[in-house]
Amino acid sequence: MLETKVDKVLDLKGLLCPVPVVKVSQAIKALPIGAVIEATATDPGVLADIPAWARSTGNEVLSIERQNKVITFRVKRVK
Amino acid sequence: MSTLEVVTGVLALTGLAVCVVGLGWRVSGVQGRPFRWDVAPAKGSAARGVAYAFTLGMAPWAKESTRRHLLAYVRGILLHLAIFAGLAWLAASPWHAEVPKVVRLLTASVLTAGMAMGLAGFWMRRREPALRQLSTPDDYASLGLVTLFLATAALSAVAAWCLPGLWALSGLMLAYIPFGKLRHFVYFFYTRTFFGLLFGRRGVLESAR
Amino acid sequence: MARLDANKATLVKDTLGKLIDRKLLASLEVCVRCGICAESCHYYLADPRPEHAPFYRSEQVRRLYRSLFDPIGRHLPWWVGAQRPTEESLAQLAEMAFSTCTLCRRCTLNCPSGCDTAQIMRAMRTVAVAAGLAPEMLVQLADASIAREEHLEDFKEIYLEQVRALEEEVREATGDPQAHIPVDVEGADILYVALSGAHTILPAAILFHEAGSNWTLSMFEASNYGVFLADTARAKRITERIVREAERLRVREVVVTDCGHAYTTLRWEAPNWFGKPFPFQVRSLIELVAGWISDGIITVDPTHNPEPVTYHDSCNLGRNSGLIEEPRTILRAVCQDFREMTPNREHNYCCGGGGGLVATPEWTDLRLKAGGPKAQQVRATGAQVVAASCDNCRIQLGDISEHYALGTRVVGLMELVVKALVPQRAKGHPLEADVA
Repeated sequence: MLETKVDKVLDLKGLLCPVPVVKVSQAIKALPIGAVIEATATDPGVLADIPAWARSTGNEVLSIERQNKVITFRVKRVK
Repeated sequence: MSTLEVVTGVLALTGLAVCVVGLGWRVSGVQGRPFRWDVAPAKGSAARGVAYAFTLGMAPWAKESTRRHLLAYVRGILLHLAIFAGLAWLAASPWHAEVPKVVRLLTASVLTAGMAMGLAGFWMRRREPALRQLSTPDDYASLGLVTLFLATAALSAVAAWCLPGLWALSGLMLAYIPFGKLRHFVYFFYTRTFFGLLFGRRGVLESAR
Repeated sequence: MARLDANKATLVKDTLGKLIDRKLLASLEVCVRCGICAESCHYYLADPRPEHAPFYRSEQVRRLYRSLFDPIGRHLPWWVGAQRPTEESLAQLAEMAFSTCTLCRRCTLNCPSGCDTAQIMRAMRTVAVAAGLAPEMLVQLADASIAREEHLEDFKEIYLEQVRALEEEVREATGDPQAHIPVDVEGADILYVALSGAHTILPAAILFHEAGSNWTLSMFEASNYGVFLADTARAKRITERIVREAERLRVREVVVTDCGHAYTTLRWEAPNWFGKPFPFQVRSLIELVAGWISDGIITVDPTHNPEPVTYHDSCNLGRNSGLIEEPRTILRAVCQDFREMTPNREHNYCCGGGGGLVATPEWTDLRLKAGGPKAQQVRATGAQVVAASCDNCRIQLGDISEHYALGTRVVGLMELVVKALVPQRAKGHPLEADVA
């Protein structure tokens, strides 16, 4: 995970569903294909929401890690 | 009966026939559309909801909007009451001479008040920016026909020589009803019923909980 | 003005035509443009421009309807204000339907004819979806919900891991080391459908535990963005996940979390899509908790919530679903100083976040402005805490608290209950099943 180049970092801590998904979707639109977003969130809903959103939009979740109550995930723009 | 009375009488009856056939066409248009009762179990009473929709729910104090726009709402109520009175007078008008003078004078007063409400409608439609922007020729024609109908009805109640005018105008107005916005009254019974069903069944209206 | 190509014109006409049932037709025909509905809309109150009045908005859709379906509108469009759709007008109508109406039905309650403007706006949303003019984010969120079921095996472990982590918190809150969050339990009485995230699972799990309910947590979230799109195919597909799960687990009832549109959908709308009542009862968690408090199944102490609290009636729960007294039963029991907003109950103003607006970032400014009347209502109560029973409202209330510097804290209704809860189960207090 650490070797991946991150193009944008998002702090989504404290935000409730669906706002984290909305923020990621907005941010990824502004990046070129192949770019990677790294985000941190506290709403455990993102554990299922982000992979589901990525599947339906054709993007790729590179990793999701949870440490205590903070969840860090990386999403790559594929489409 | 004079030729004028016969001709205008025929006009009125023709207008009535067009109105009845046209409204039948409109009603069949609604009835021809699908309707499904809500299948979820009710929380409140649909019957009480509908009863409220057609009674207390129409009282001027029942809604925030009508309390806020009391004058406009009361104007609308008076206009509609006058229209009903005008139609009743139209039905009775061939027997003009047999109607007691006091009744005719009373009718003329009600119809004149209604006509004033119609004229006020023009003023309101021009005064409110949103209404002015949205008003169509149909809006003005509909209001104009109703106001003129009330005016001629009021006149004819006190002066029999105006009856041909009333009949001619009634023919025109009745014939126009199915084609312009005057037809809204048909749909009113549907929307108020659906309102009562929706908010009654779901237990939203206090009287239906 | 670019004319619609023949295919799109046919698509628009066919889509709208299929939606015109007796209710919609009556609402399209009944309005006489009297204009007295204007101030019933929070958009108009916040910014009193003609285009923010409900009758103005619905008139724009009527113009389209008349141009396609009314003989007078087709032959004499100028006479009745009919307007044939163009690329531009269709895009404007789509934006209007999604951004300037939260489908709250306050105008319907205030219309002398009872015109259902929300149904008209929904129809316009459906047409917009068919024409490819729906807000991208709502489509993505709806499709993500569908993907969650299609790839359930991929998400199941992640979800269960989330639930296991929450169980620790349930044990801590209840003081019961045996407390757990059941998932996928066949034969449970209740299937509880939460939202994504802990805030709707944790309080409910604590309360179910305390009430001794025989429950199981759904694998799916209650929210349904297909409903906001007014796309019945998507909305039905999203609802089907829960219906199938409830049938598979043979539960007696489905309990929906504090979520306005999810409850209205499952309780009132979805059975119509399936053409029959569900083989299970649908209730809101609010109804259960109000009952538990009234019946003494759970014990609460209002001194745990001493600050002044006001309650925002979600339009979906209150005006559209009749859940009006139940939240008040709860609030009067769990708060020391409960204050009503004015107006309240079915007359309450929409917060401005409904109809999918909190998920459409392109209209954030408009949404915040439309929250102005709600901000005034909150401020007038002097409350420090605003209780919400819908997640969309909760997000919007938090945003307007910040935007209008209200200094209020927004909490979920169930969080207040949990805060006031005096755990009794370990002391042999009667369980729900015993009382029933």
